[in-house]
Amino acid sequence: MLNPPETSQTGRTLTTVLVIVVALILQVSVANRLPLPGGVQPDLVLLAVVALALVFGSMTGMVTGFLAGLAADIIPPADHTIGRYALVYCLIGYLCGIASAEMDRQTVVPFFAVAAGALAGTVLYAVTGMILGDPRAQWGTVSGMVPLQVGYDVVASPFIVWAVLRVTRRYERGERSRGDRLSVPAARYRAMSGRGGGL
Amino acid sequence: MKDTRRTRTVLGVLLVAALAMITVDYRGGDHSPLSGLRSAGAAVFGPVERASASVVRPVGGTFDAITDAPGEKRRADRLARDNQRLREQLRSNRLDQDRSAQLQRLLGTAGMGGYKILAAQVISAGQGFEDTVTIDVGSRSGVRADMTVMSADGLVGRVTRVGPATSTVLLATDQTSSVGSRLEDSKEIGIVQGSGRRGLGGGATPLRFQLLDAAAPMRVGQRLVTLGSQGERPYVPGVPIGTVERIDASSTGLTRTAYVKPFVHFTSLDVVAVVVAPPKTDPRDAVLPAKPAPPPSPSPTPSPSGSPGGKKKKGKKGPKTEAGGTATPSANPSSGG
Repeated sequence: MLNPPETSQTGRTLTTVLVIVVALILQVSVANRLPLPGGVQPDLVLLAVVALALVFGSMTGMVTGFLAGLAADIIPPADHTIGRYALVYCLIGYLCGIASAEMDRQTVVPFFAVAAGALAGTVLYAVTGMILGDPRAQWGTVSGMVPLQVGYDVVASPFIVWAVLRVTRRYERGERSRGDRLSVPAARYRAMSGRGGGL
Repeated sequence: MKDTRRTRTVLGVLLVAALAMITVDYRGGDHSPLSGLRSAGAAVFGPVERASASVVRPVGGTFDAITDAPGEKRRADRLARDNQRLREQLRSNRLDQDRSAQLQRLLGTAGMGGYKILAAQVISAGQGFEDTVTIDVGSRSGVRADMTVMSADGLVGRVTRVGPATSTVLLATDQTSSVGSRLEDSKEIGIVQGSGRRGLGGGATPLRFQLLDAAAPMRVGQRLVTLGSQGERPYVPGVPIGTVERIDASSTGLTRTAYVKPFVHFTSLDVVAVVVAPPKTDPRDAVLPAKPAPPPSPSPTPSPSGSPGGKKKKGKKGPKTEAGGTATPSANPSSGG
């Protein structure tokens, strides 16, 4: 695209909303119906939140996480206490945003950030369930499900992250011209994921 | 630094908001003040899910149909286009055929029990720990909360929440679901509880049956139907649930526990039906498939014989060894429709 780097705030917001909505719809109508072994499916919304936080930083990460979580709490087949995903995704968005600032040091960080984000998100969600006494979040279920879920998340992460970076590339470039420090980790991250996808 | 402080403030506000919502919704239970939010979610996302389901369903077949045809000859172009159109017609016909076959089976099953049903299609599934799905009928089609949902094979679950065009179904495998049920050919009753599909390995069954009378006879291979709730809600009587796969020998409590293999494949739900009116009379065992039905899924034995780890010896007993004398379900002439 040759369009000039527009003042990106509106565009960024729109892109973020679009990414989250698409991730949510894909999650409930495609991913959750895949008959994967173990009956567990990757959490695309969590991955999208992590990726957006890594690109845009902690502020966008946590606001996006909160709103995406709230949407995931009320989207039709959901049947848990409202606010659980909002809490979890908000925290994960914030933490991954913080991590993105450190990312220009080591090249392995992005990959671990996604895995750690997936692990932390799944565990936190399970913990909120246990605190609330949710009969579904018993230890037997959780211990069987969490490792599988994290595995699926890690497998699915390159695709989601690639898609998110692809969509947000324009705004990142605009930022680099303004000298924003966030552009460095994002570019590094993109290079990293591009290499991963080529394998 | 200022930025960090602002970020932290916002983080704090958002976390408090989330915690407040959790508290309010948790304390409120079924009558939570936030249920309006859920209705809003159903109203907003329901139509989107319906639309996306109609896209996703044929997309697998349509991918290869969209081939580029940039040939230089106009005739070839036209032929290719015709060809593609015809092929897509054929394909959609085949999809319709598939769907109509499922519907026909469904009607057959419902007719046997005398249930009045409303056919629906599963359009999305739940996330996290819950076993829930969304179907594409809602209050506009006359669906109300606490109606039984079944498929051609047996019990699927019950409607928990109804939106204008969609409704949420709690599957029988969910850990919060419990269904009053009855062993076939007997009056022994018990409770079928879901143990969740999530995180289960290959051998584990997603349903657990508690027989209330610990002394009552129960065999591997015996089948279960719903008992019917009071006022026929949420569960109507006579819907097949599953087959007893193994019996927990170690339980010494007041009840006996068995593990049940459901008739319905919960991972590939497609066409289902909401029972909008219960049958006039209890269909008893009439809806169960004919006795030689087990062969399609003939291996309730979880492990091949000889594996030393198998602690359940009873699992080795095949279902065919049991008495087939009372085999055919009593042809209960169901007057209803």
